[in-house]
Amino acid sequence: MKRTATILLGNPLSVLGLILVGFVVLTALLADFIAPYPDHAGAVVDFVNANKPPSAEYWLGTDVVGRDILSRIFYAYRVSLGLGIVVLSIATPIGVVVGLLAGYIGGWTDYILMRITDVFLSIPPLVLALAIMGLLEPTLLNGMIAVTAMWWPWYARLVYNIARAEKVEGYVLAAEIIGGGRMHVMFREILPNCVPAIVTKMTLDFGFVILIASSLSFLGLGVQAPTPDLGSMVSEGTRYLPDSWWLTVFPGAAILIAVFGFNLIGDVLREVLEPD
Amino acid sequence: MTAQDTLDIQNLRLSFRNWSGSVEVLHGIDLRIARGERVALVGESGSGKSVTARIVLGTMQETPGARVSGRILFGGRDLDAMSRTERRAVRGTAMSMIFQDPTTALNPVYRIGTLVHEVLKRREPAITAEEARRRGGDILREVSIDDPERVLDSFAFQLSGGMNQRVMIAMSLINEPQLLLADEPGTALDVTVQAQTLKLMRDLVESHGTSVLFISHNLGVVREFADRIYVIYRGRIVERGPTAAIFEDPRHPYTRALLAAIPRLTGGGIPEIAERSDSFLAPMVAHEEVMG
Amino acid sequence: MRILTRLSIRLATTVLVLFGVSVLIFLIARIIPGDPARIALGPRASEAQVEQMRRTLHLDEPLFAQYAHFVGDLFRGDLGISLYTNRPVTTDIAQFLPATLELVILAGIMMIAIGLPLGAISARYRGRWADHVIRVLTLMTVSAPSFVWAVVLVLLFSYYTPLFPIAGRIAETITIPPVTGFMLIDTLIAGRWDGFLSALHHVFLPAFALSLSGIGQAARLTRANMIGTYEQPYIEMAQAYGFSERRIAARYAFKPSLIPSLTIIGLDFAALLGNAFLVETIFAWPGLSRYGVGVILQKDLNAIVGTVMIISATFLIANLIVDLLVSVINPRIRYAERSE
Repeated sequence: MKRTATILLGNPLSVLGLILVGFVVLTALLADFIAPYPDHAGAVVDFVNANKPPSAEYWLGTDVVGRDILSRIFYAYRVSLGLGIVVLSIATPIGVVVGLLAGYIGGWTDYILMRITDVFLSIPPLVLALAIMGLLEPTLLNGMIAVTAMWWPWYARLVYNIARAEKVEGYVLAAEIIGGGRMHVMFREILPNCVPAIVTKMTLDFGFVILIASSLSFLGLGVQAPTPDLGSMVSEGTRYLPDSWWLTVFPGAAILIAVFGFNLIGDVLREVLEPD
Repeated sequence: MTAQDTLDIQNLRLSFRNWSGSVEVLHGIDLRIARGERVALVGESGSGKSVTARIVLGTMQETPGARVSGRILFGGRDLDAMSRTERRAVRGTAMSMIFQDPTTALNPVYRIGTLVHEVLKRREPAITAEEARRRGGDILREVSIDDPERVLDSFAFQLSGGMNQRVMIAMSLINEPQLLLADEPGTALDVTVQAQTLKLMRDLVESHGTSVLFISHNLGVVREFADRIYVIYRGRIVERGPTAAIFEDPRHPYTRALLAAIPRLTGGGIPEIAERSDSFLAPMVAHEEVMG
Repeated sequence: MRILTRLSIRLATTVLVLFGVSVLIFLIARIIPGDPARIALGPRASEAQVEQMRRTLHLDEPLFAQYAHFVGDLFRGDLGISLYTNRPVTTDIAQFLPATLELVILAGIMMIAIGLPLGAISARYRGRWADHVIRVLTLMTVSAPSFVWAVVLVLLFSYYTPLFPIAGRIAETITIPPVTGFMLIDTLIAGRWDGFLSALHHVFLPAFALSLSGIGQAARLTRANMIGTYEQPYIEMAQAYGFSERRIAARYAFKPSLIPSLTIIGLDFAALLGNAFLVETIFAWPGLSRYGVGVILQKDLNAIVGTVMIISATFLIANLIVDLLVSVINPRIRYAERSE
């Protein structure tokens, strides 16, 4: 743990990642205090100041109904991060359990679980989420369900591969010989060995959940107005290109900053935690 | 005298720089190989024998953090005075190398014929595929491969380890190098197969007049092969002399320990040197040199 | 012979997975809250009309029988009628899919043609500035959704420097009779060289925007694989034989690294198909995206199910092709039998 921290702080790339992610997390947490116009997170209309380019008053300009884009980005980060936490904290355990069962028990359990996983993996992720969103109502909750449904198979795959490799290792055989039950072996012996890979993947995925969620709302199928969302902000802005470029460019850059930050950390973590 | 030596290493030192300073791995090695002579460098893993071969080859110098000093004369030419390009030009033509595991050292996505052609191009860049195939066939017959055509059309993973070893020997000699570096050749193979291919290699270098630096951890393996032996321990040569002298009259304590560790029957594996002893650090013993 | 066995196994798995996809989609479509018949007819329809619709859609039968009808129709190539366009879903998809595929295939080509060499260069100059620059750039390209890159590219290369058209598939002055639906092919069939160039000009920027994250993925993967390859003994052997660094990279390290890279890149095709929805929106590309989003907003059940089935099938076929390609490149699969 200490070693990991040392390496993360010693690598310029991960330091940049930590700064970016720190920025995103802080602005999301402290939006109420640092956003110049906290009430602009909601359905505020100010036509006098509508569609203004960046200025001293509105650093990143205003949207078509006069709301401060910077303030809305801070609140949108709050929504994105919340979504990421919910999705990963549901998808990861499901994937881990499926992967462990399939990888350790093997046989028919393996075959059936992994074929189900394959089915989910063979629908392009965004399309699966779109279909689920389309059949359900486009709300934030359903958005989370849709993204979770496309996410767990990747964890199942990851844990499955590790579990299959580990189950023939000496320490697992030893645990079985001294009478460790299946549950014990799976969760106490094998699972700890999957943790580095899972942590790395979660860091990288945090960024990708934000990315996919913004894609859904870009298509009008995610977070609904007036809740601020980076994807819908870009989507609204595209109608005003190229003159009102700030409507699309800043929310787009906000997505890039957040996802890039998580990816930088995840990338360095991967080299540290998974040497091969 | 220098002029007739294929290789003359003088006071060779190697150290690696890391965060906390530098670690010296070779502490001044002297080693000579006369034209057509077969010399073995024997020591346990980590003694510095493999890095010595890679310094002669010139690849170690390209490793970041490695510092090499001393003089290496190859056919009278100072390798240090050569540019990177010049040194690279020597590799694969005047100097070649055989590796420990023949199967992993042959690129898995090309046929043997293609690899042979590539190697031939090192000396004759314009050589045609047909000519390369003919020459490849000839040299494969020299290493007792009866059906060279089939082997040329195969991938390394389709051939046995012994067969790949012969292919590698053939490839290393096809450009008529003056010096062949053999790093634990065939250690990955069965003992009987290893013995067979070593005999083949011996005959071949003898008929081609190639000088050999043979790296091994096993004194038993080099007995039949080498004219002279250098024993290396922790980056220092501890004893050197003609093979017969070393075997009949080992004078350095470390050499005696190595000899005692030769597997008695056919068993391969790395001989275990039971204990570390201060006596291993005793000064070098040089037997009278009978240059031949 | 090995290839045939492998191919048939893969084909069987594909069919099995496609069957699984149909079950999954069917289940999702049936467990949604609300009555599909009511949704299809809208709130103003009478109870009798809804009842009639329930019978037409076999909703009055048990779930298993419903699925049997669904699969039966599927096998006959019947995906039902789209409520959004009032046409057979297959007709709709046949009209919109080629434009999307054209975009996706071109993006896939760019992904491989740019991503693989970038990754190889990165690995070859590992730890030096070229590597750092490529790593940061490729990490950036995978860190933003394709619609963001599409916006950036449109702003830079269509509005500020008008190098590329903003929207459409071909210049408005050129009319090409549709044959395959692939503009690049249809223009050639019509013998319109100018049309082909115009179509290429129109498809370039959207395809590049779509390929950017794929390029990043492919480059990162190739770098990782090639660094692994550089640790193989056969690379040291090539160095010992004095081959130049460039030759070693291009000939000895790249090809063995290509095999694992290509397999994963086949999976990235899924992302391209999904992301095409995003890029098409920005470039007003007349592909499946507008149709797909339309039918989703309209709760057009048949069309949603049909679209998902077709996209998944396309993805699985693409994977099959990649797998075949890999077996052709990989001699270990071609000649797995050990002689001697």
